[in-house]
Amino acid sequence: MENSLRIENITKHYGALTAVDHLTLSVPSGIVFGLLGPNGAGKTTTLEIVEGLRHPDGGHVWWGDLDVFRNPDEARSRFGVQLQTSAFFELLTVKETLELFRSFYRRALPVSDLIARLDLGEKQNARVGGLSGGQRQRLALAVALINDPEVVFLDEPSAGLDPQARRNLWEVILGLKAEGRTVVLTTHYMDEAECLSDRLAIVDHGQVLDEGTPKELIQRHMPAAVVEVSRSVGVDATVSLPGVQRMEERDEVTMLISEHLEDTLVGLVNWAQQQHRTITGLTTRNATLEDVFLELTGRSLRE
Amino acid sequence: MNAVVTLTRSLMRQTLRNRQGLFWTLFFPVVLMVVFSFLGNSQSRVNLAVVAPSGRATAVVKAFKQSPLFHVTEMNRSSALQEVQRGHLDAALIVPSAHGHPTTTLTLRYNDANTLSAQQAVGSVEAFVSQADIALSGRPPLFRVAAKALSHSHSSTYLDFLLPGILALMTMQNSLFGIGSGLTRWKEKGVLRRFQATPVKPVQLLSATVINYIVVGLASAAIVVGFATTILHASVLVPLGGTLLVLLLGMAVFLSIGFIVAGLSKSQEATIPIINLISFPMMFLSGVFFPSTSFPRILSDIVQYFPLTYMADALRGLMSGQLTVAAGAFRTDILGLLIWLVVTGTLASRTWRWE
Ligand SMILES: Nc1ncnc2c1ncn2[C@@H]1O[C@H](COP(=O)(O)OP(=O)(O)OP(=O)(O)O)[C@@H](O)[C@H]1O
Ligand SMILES: [Mg+2]
Repeated sequence: MENSLRIENITKHYGALTAVDHLTLSVPSGIVFGLLGPNGAGKTTTLEIVEGLRHPDGGHVWWGDLDVFRNPDEARSRFGVQLQTSAFFELLTVKETLELFRSFYRRALPVSDLIARLDLGEKQNARVGGLSGGQRQRLALAVALINDPEVVFLDEPSAGLDPQARRNLWEVILGLKAEGRTVVLTTHYMDEAECLSDRLAIVDHGQVLDEGTPKELIQRHMPAAVVEVSRSVGVDATVSLPGVQRMEERDEVTMLISEHLEDTLVGLVNWAQQQHRTITGLTTRNATLEDVFLELTGRSLRE
Repeated sequence: MNAVVTLTRSLMRQTLRNRQGLFWTLFFPVVLMVVFSFLGNSQSRVNLAVVAPSGRATAVVKAFKQSPLFHVTEMNRSSALQEVQRGHLDAALIVPSAHGHPTTTLTLRYNDANTLSAQQAVGSVEAFVSQADIALSGRPPLFRVAAKALSHSHSSTYLDFLLPGILALMTMQNSLFGIGSGLTRWKEKGVLRRFQATPVKPVQLLSATVINYIVVGLASAAIVVGFATTILHASVLVPLGGTLLVLLLGMAVFLSIGFIVAGLSKSQEATIPIINLISFPMMFLSGVFFPSTSFPRILSDIVQYFPLTYMADALRGLMSGQLTVAAGAFRTDILGLLIWLVVTGTLASRTWRWE
């Protein structure tokens, strides 16, 4: 049977603050699903509710036929969880930690497999307290996989990893998908979201702003090309150029979002010649997820 | 394997690997006992300066030196008097240089500002001299005093009094701080949340934690008792059943109190002062270091209901041999602890929150 993870109308209040606001999502099984959102958007709260760690004020979560809130024990044995910050017993070794968590499940993977998969071999007999941030992160991922989970939730798995370790992490995540597992992850890296996720949801203020494949999202919100020039060139709102849908200023760059790249470029060159301006820093590119994100949330990702 | 077993094993490993923690658990009780056992010893002997003309009266000096009652220093008259005046020595015994009389007068100079040590010195010297007199002259004594203690026959020192108190105090500190600050730290750092994401039930994690603290608590109690009796020569009884009962009940009460505190406070910074607030009054008022009977009536009326008082009294009764498990006073202490356990245990289960 084809499972899917269905999140229906979940809501969570902290006093006057609504951290998650009637959030509804559907994640088909066997894909990597990305949750994107600025800090405080409610990503962690959403994940922790879905994992059964926090009680929502309302809503339902289903994994196939399994009602997660009704059968939290069953859900916990089938879910793998990496929390945004998780601590383990500092004085145990990596191997002892994995063995401890392994003992909690009826079905589990061999500790040695996970140590190999996450490249923890050198550190397997080191105490957890002495691990570096990235090594801890890998241990947390190994612990998340110990029960051979059907769904894996990863809250910012690449935070604190060096570029090489991030690449390795991507391979691990794609490997999980290849094994037929469903992966739900959050990230603040656009390239990561774009490269890993089959589908994405952009979240802010506890609500889903939009959801779809990375391509769909770009098509929907940024159908056009982007022309960038240095701000010092002096292209501003008073200048009207052909094909330009919208203009945005970011740091030292003026962005022209264009429906018709050629028209805009010709218009820009003509305007510069008439005004005796020098064009510097000219680039053209396709719109990215980052542009979509900015468009939808009004905030940059790592703000 | 059962999660309680694997969790307990992991926690024990943690405890044993935390060398610093282990050191401090045992350090204070041991240091306290060593310090107090020295104080106790020096008090039971009379520090005596003997002023004797050289070559004369060596038999007298020798007799004093051999007696276990005295710690003898030979010195000249003026420095002896000075030392006594300053309170460094209890008394100075002055042996005359010549004697024509049938009775030799030994002069004892003491400092009457120090009533207690002076009384002890005078009494001891008088008794010793009359005994030596009898022994030397060969006359049989007319009377003899046969002294018999009412309860157990060992003479009790301050260390014997202190040891049960220290055991009670250790139990309180380990349980309160262990659970109180340990759990808050776990909560703060996200250790608990991580376990919550597994099928492990809260009660399993709590059982493992409690088992760990009980094993650690009993082992450190055994080490402290062993140290006190073998190295410091404390003479106490350790009736196993009764002692274990009191220790376990006390642990249960203080672990519950620790739970309540950890359940109510969000951070380490909040936990530590609350625990101090609870433990400090008991540490000084519950008769750990001195009997609480010397307090004003109104205070001792309150103090008698403290859990640490019940513990210290019960342990002291058992270890001095004054109480048996069947004694009414012992049962009162146990009942007191049981009532505390019901109240704190209920509160702990009501106030505990994972989030
Ligand atoms: N235990 C809590 N008590 C009160 N407010 C909370 C609590 N946990 C989260 N919040 C609030 O809920 C909102 C959502 O937080 P959440 O951690 O879900 O955001 P996030 O999207 O994961 O952010 P980040 O990208 O920084 O991890 C924030 O405004 C946060 O301050
Ligand atoms: Mg988060």
